[in-house]
Parts: sequence; structure tokens; C-alpha cells
Amino acid sequence: MSLKQKLISIVGEQYVSDGLAEKYVYSFDMTENPPKRPAMVVMPESVQQLQQIVRIANKDRVPLVPFVTGQNIGGLTIPQVDDAVTVDLKRMNKIVEVDDEAMYAVVEPGVTFGHLRKYLDEHNPSLTYTYPLAPPYTSVLANALLQGLCDLSTMRGAMGDFINGLEAILPTGEIVRAGSAIMGDGNWFGRYPLPDLVGLFSGWQGMSGFVTKIAVQLWPKKQFTRHAALFTFGEVPTTELLKRIARAQLIDDADCMSLSIVKMLLGVSPPVQVYGGEPDYGTLLTLSGNIEKEADAKYELIETFVEDARKNESRQLLVDWDAISRMLGDQAKSWVDFPSDAFKVLTEYDGLTWVGTYIHPKHWGEALSGGRKIVEKYGFELMAYLKPMNSMHFGEFKFIIRFPKDDATVEKVRHCNEELLDFALSLKALPYKTPVWAAKKLQQNADPGFVELLKRIRKTLDPNGIMNPGRWGL
Amino acid sequence: MSPYESVIADWLHRCNRCGTCKYIFRDYGPSCPSGEQYRFESYFASGRISIARALTTGEIDWQESLLKPTFACTECGACQIQCMAPHREHIVEMIEELRSLVVDKLGPLPPHRAIAESISRKHNPYEATHHNREIVQQLNLPDKADTVLFLGCTSNYKETSVRDATLSVLKKAGINFTVVDEYCCGSPLLRTGQRAFARQAAEHNLEAFEKAGAERVITSCAGCYRTLSKDYKKLGFDLDIDLLHSVQLVNELLTEKKLKVTQQGSIGRVTYHDPCHLGRHMGVYEEPRQMLGVLPVEFVEMHPNEKNAWCCGAGGGVKSSFPELAQATAAIRLGHARAVNADILVSACPFCKRNLSDANQGQVAKVLDIVELVDLAT
Repeated sequence: MSLKQKLISIVGEQYVSDGLAEKYVYSFDMTENPPKRPAMVVMPESVQQLQQIVRIANKDRVPLVPFVTGQNIGGLTIPQVDDAVTVDLKRMNKIVEVDDEAMYAVVEPGVTFGHLRKYLDEHNPSLTYTYPLAPPYTSVLANALLQGLCDLSTMRGAMGDFINGLEAILPTGEIVRAGSAIMGDGNWFGRYPLPDLVGLFSGWQGMSGFVTKIAVQLWPKKQFTRHAALFTFGEVPTTELLKRIARAQLIDDADCMSLSIVKMLLGVSPPVQVYGGEPDYGTLLTLSGNIEKEADAKYELIETFVEDARKNESRQLLVDWDAISRMLGDQAKSWVDFPSDAFKVLTEYDGLTWVGTYIHPKHWGEALSGGRKIVEKYGFELMAYLKPMNSMHFGEFKFIIRFPKDDATVEKVRHCNEELLDFALSLKALPYKTPVWAAKKLQQNADPGFVELLKRIRKTLDPNGIMNPGRWGL
Repeated sequence: MSPYESVIADWLHRCNRCGTCKYIFRDYGPSCPSGEQYRFESYFASGRISIARALTTGEIDWQESLLKPTFACTECGACQIQCMAPHREHIVEMIEELRSLVVDKLGPLPPHRAIAESISRKHNPYEATHHNREIVQQLNLPDKADTVLFLGCTSNYKETSVRDATLSVLKKAGINFTVVDEYCCGSPLLRTGQRAFARQAAEHNLEAFEKAGAERVITSCAGCYRTLSKDYKKLGFDLDIDLLHSVQLVNELLTEKKLKVTQQGSIGRVTYHDPCHLGRHMGVYEEPRQMLGVLPVEFVEMHPNEKNAWCCGAGGGVKSSFPELAQATAAIRLGHARAVNADILVSACPFCKRNLSDANQGQVAKVLDIVELVDLAT
């Protein structure tokens, strides 16, 4: 029996394809990362079906590439080896459980931010999940496992920190759990006190198995939420002010972006220019309180921080969101309500990419100003985006490039991104949602023991090397 | 020379497959019948745009396996409503151009070829005997009139109750109208990538309108309405004629009391299905709702509706070539009607009526065209 026939026997003929259209469409993503076609695409509906697929692949040495929606901005669903089978998990889309008391949701891979949002609004209106600057229909599970950032990251860190536990199919076909749900269903409250085996899957880009369920933390919706816009000049003054605000734990989130992105949100057509005298950055600040006074008090403290900052840079400006709403109209409301809505400014072309990193706070401003020079040298729109992370234990920055995917521009983007990454690595920053080319550069700079440990763990879990081979440059 | 400019080339580097087209914005319910049925990325609008781009740039070659993802789409246009990218208004055009390219290289799908052959021989897609002129004689219609009723093939040969109700309503309202020797408007050809034949049909129909002295053309078919209004212009014809869907005229007649409601008591609990070609493609949402507000029915909206309405599943050549998609899509829509406990599901397109009726397994008691409801009540 051929591989295709075996897969059809598991999921049915309708959900296996080796047609040209499917092989092509699953061969690339929006980034500049080189395309490669899978041999076929299969779509299981259940854990049992997926387990059977993995067992066959392990026995027949077939490379498997997990896919949900393919919008990771890292080329992470592009096969790296010949004859791979892409496993599209979007049919596994159940919200398994929401626990109002322990505040978590257990979801399958195909559940998107949009769907979770809708579900919570309807069934658990006092709770919220975190939402990223990503299309509304990206996978909650994939984003958490890839340790991305979201609209609670300034207070609480990367999405990987919100994982309470998971269920996974190992490359050898066994189903395992990590976290408190090892004690049974309805008990996904946390990861400790246990050996933290979530780490065998978080950040691995699908190299250690298929995660079939994930428990993520939800948060109570605060009664009072306020927003403000902070307009700032200069990379170092901007990051210094953000550090002070974040360290004081006044804000749930800060989305700091080049003014050009703010202009895009206002509807300015590309290529967006910034003119002399305009601020360099606009930051959306979100703060909340259980009573209005609490939110107002936080806002007042931010005002004093901005006033202090004005002693060195008199043009730094804090603007209440009401004024912004008058300028932006409905867009202002939708942006703060569901940040994924703002992704539309990133859909100008068929190409979208970034070099995004997490970085020590001491290098944050320097990284931003150095990166800016590189982007300007290549003549791309300046689209820096940064966020204080986990109450300023670390910072995030990325330079976004939206571009038409013609050959010449793709080549230019590759050079620009390489230069950006080289610069970031020189500041000991860590790239996130790391494409293979970036992982290889990271390995050249990283502790060799770390790379060896990765290889050893992988060999142990996946002796036949079937899970997403080539990822992380391994 | 083709009158069409390449919309694929115009928007070659736009879609980055963000996926926003897949679901209703801010509602998060599904919007794409094809994607929901087949689930592979290639069956959503973004997948088709990728295929179109790859064929244009030569990244992929012409293979039979491209046919299904290319044609298994109702062209309902829901993707265009949800998309927020710059090319959003052109997605259906891109899919139609893709189909045209595929037909040029690989030929049409067999059922679509049969439709084209039938239109060529009998001027309708149903292999029915061409008989418009009989209606003129039966109803003693004039040779010339300001108003021409364009019957449309589905209404004239399949869902004849829609035709008869339209004729009856126009008579009741005292409209001086006639019916011309119409050919298929060309919609089935345009939707299935067989553009070459559509031009001949358009030429014939326009000549017939002119011969009748038409100043306005009315049709009860949403597909014909879209084709006459939009596609004939794209084919390069300059129509100096008012084009109306029957709901636009009948709503006016009801408002102006030129049509009087005579029915006593409620006809039933009614919900309205927005035909894609009337709603999303032509922006007509209000008139049928205003009509239902006047008629003796208990009107209830089902969801999703208006610009986000779920397609009936018939269009784009799907009913003939992908009956499983047509059936599954209609079943979902019937489920929406059932969810609001409607007895009667009305639409304003005979093709919607046909497909929804075919799929109805008791979800609603009746599927009717809105003009039939008007005829019943007046």
C-alpha cells in the first residue's frame, strides 16, 4: 500500500491531497524564506487519526511538518527536506474546556484567536485571553508554543509563559501529557511543582511531536480600562521612558511603533514617509483597574513619568485615548478591543517579514537605533515595533518589512534581514519564531553545549528524525 | 482581442494569505463555502489567488489537478467582504480570470462544456426548447414596450413559478411590458471561464432590447441582473437602459400602492436569504426587507445576513460540477433558517430557490421566491 493509500485509510480520501495546487500553496508563506513543496498534505480530525499518521510516518521514515494556518512570519511551516508530508491540523478545532474558576482554556490546534474570543464573549464574559498583532485567524496553540507576544505581554511576558500544560503525540506515537493534567481531565491549572516537560515542546517548532491540546491561562477582565497614546522622540529616550513605566507595573501592555505604522493605521498609503519634526514613535498604553480610581491613579503616575522625561526631551507627549479616537474613529476602538484587527496594515503586499528578537533591557535602545539605520540604508519603510516584556525583565523589538515578492525585492529583504539579525546577535538578542537561516546564525553565536543538548533531546524523542526535520538548523 | 485586462497581473503581489477572508470579520463564523467544505488552503480565496499568481509567473504548470480548486467555488464574494487588503474588491474577478486561463489551457469541466453547448444550440443552459415568444402570444404582450421583462433561463425553464409570479405581478400593477426573444444572459459562461461565447449572447440580447424599444429591463434573476448590469459593461457594451431587479420595481409598486396587499392573515414566519449576486455583488439589501415589512408575513432575520450572508451553494458553476458542495452549502443555509424557526425561506433568485429547494429536507416548510410571496399576497 502506498503512503497516500495508508493516509486515505486513516482520514478519508477527501482529506489527503498530492495535487499540484495543494503542494504549491503549502510550499511557502508570506516571508522571504525559500519555498519547498511537500509531497502531500493530510488533514486529520482527531487525536486518534493523528496518532495513526505519526505511527505510520515513524515506521516508514516519512518527514512530517505541522501546519495550522501558516502565518507565523518565520517560514516555520515550509518543509526543509524532500518528500515531507504537511499535516494540516485545522480540522482539530475544538475548545475542549474553559475553567472559569482556575481561569484556563484547553484548546486544540485549529482554534484561532477569533474563535476563542467569540467563545469567551458568549460563555465566559468575565474572562479574556491575550491577543497578538496577528491575523484574527491564527492558531492559539501555535502562537503559545512559538512563544510569541500579545496584548498582556508587557505585564506578563511571552505567550509561552501562559501555558499551563499540554497533551502531545511523541514522534514514536505515544500520547503524553505535561502539567497538572497528568492527574486527569478538568485539572489543567498549572505546570508546577513538576519537572517542566512543557519545555520539551514549547519553542521547538514542532520538532519534538504534535501538541494536540494546550491549556492556556485566561485573565479576568478588569472593570475599568484606559488607553493613552505616547508620542516620543529618539530611540534611547523612548525606551528609557517605556522601561520606567513598565517597571512600575502600571500598564497591562505597551505597543510602541514607528510613527509610520501609526500613519498606516490612519490610512496613509504606501510608501509611508515620516517628516522632520514628527515624533519617531507612537505607543499605545493600556492600563486597567478594578475601580475607576485605580486606573486613574495609574494614569496620573504615567503623566508624572512623562513630565519627568520632558525635562530631557520636551517634545515627549502623552495623549488621552479620547483625542486619538476622534482622529481614528472606529479604528481606535477596534484596535484596542482586538489588536488582531490592526493586522490589516500589514496586508499591503504579498510579502511580510520581520526580524524579531527578545533582548536585555540594557541593549534595547541601542538595538532600536542601530536597526533603524540598517532599514533606512536598504530604503524600506521604517516599521519598528517594540514592547516592554514581563514588567521589563526584557524587551522585544522587531523591524517589519512589507514588500512585493518579486525576485529583486525578495533578495534585498534577505540581505536587510541578515544584517538586522547580525546586529541583534551582536547585542546577544534572541530571535523569536526563528527561521532556519536565523537559527543557523544563532547557533554560531550560542553556547555549543546548548546546541548539543538540543540534538541529544531530539534524538531521544525522535530517533528516526521524522518531526519537522531541518528546523532550528538541526 | 479580449476586452478584459488582466486583473491578476494588476494585483499580482498583494495577497499574503493572512486568512481574514475565511471568516466573518468580528463574528468569526465561517464565510467561505468552498473552504469550509474542502478545508485545504487551496480552496479558500487566498489559495486561489496563489494559484493564479503561480500560473502567471510560471511557478507551476498547467495540470488537471488544478481544476477542482479552481472551479469548486460559488464565487459568492464573501471573501471580498471580509478581506481588508488592497485587492479586496477584485477577488472574484481574479478567480474568474483564473478560470478563463484554465479553460484556455485545459478546457472547461465537462458539465460546464455541456452548458456552453446547450447555450450555443438552444440559448439556455438546460437543453430546453427555446420558447420565449410563446409567452408573448399567450399573454398577448406587445411587440414593443418601454419595459422589458428579462425572464432568465432558470425562471423560464426550471423554476417557472417564479416566471409566472413575476408576469402576474407586473400585470396586476398595470405595467406595460413585453418579453423579447432573449438568449441566456451569459452568466453561466462568464462564471465558468468560457468568456468567448458570452459576448455573442450579450450582442443578441442588447439588439433585442433595442428592437423592442426598451428603456428599462427588469429581471427576477439575481444572476441575470448582475450580468446585465456589470458584465456587459466589462464586455465593452454601453447600455443606455435602466436595469432593475424585480425587487426594486415591486418594492416601489408596493410603496406607491400600485400593488395592493389583499391577503388577509399571516402567510407565515418568513426569513430572507440574500442572493450573492443581488446582495454582495450589486448591493441590494434594503428593498426585499422593505417588501417583507409590507407583506402579511412574520419576518425574521436569520444569521448571517446581508453582506455576510451564507451562499445558497448554487452559483459559479458549482451546482453542475460539484453537487456535494452545492448540497452541503445549501444545507447550512437551511439550518440558519431553521434556527430562527422560519416556515418559509424566501430569496430573490430562481437559482437560489432551486438549490435550496433541492437540499431542503424539512428544515423549512417551503422555499419561495419573494415575487411568489408578493403574487400570493396581492
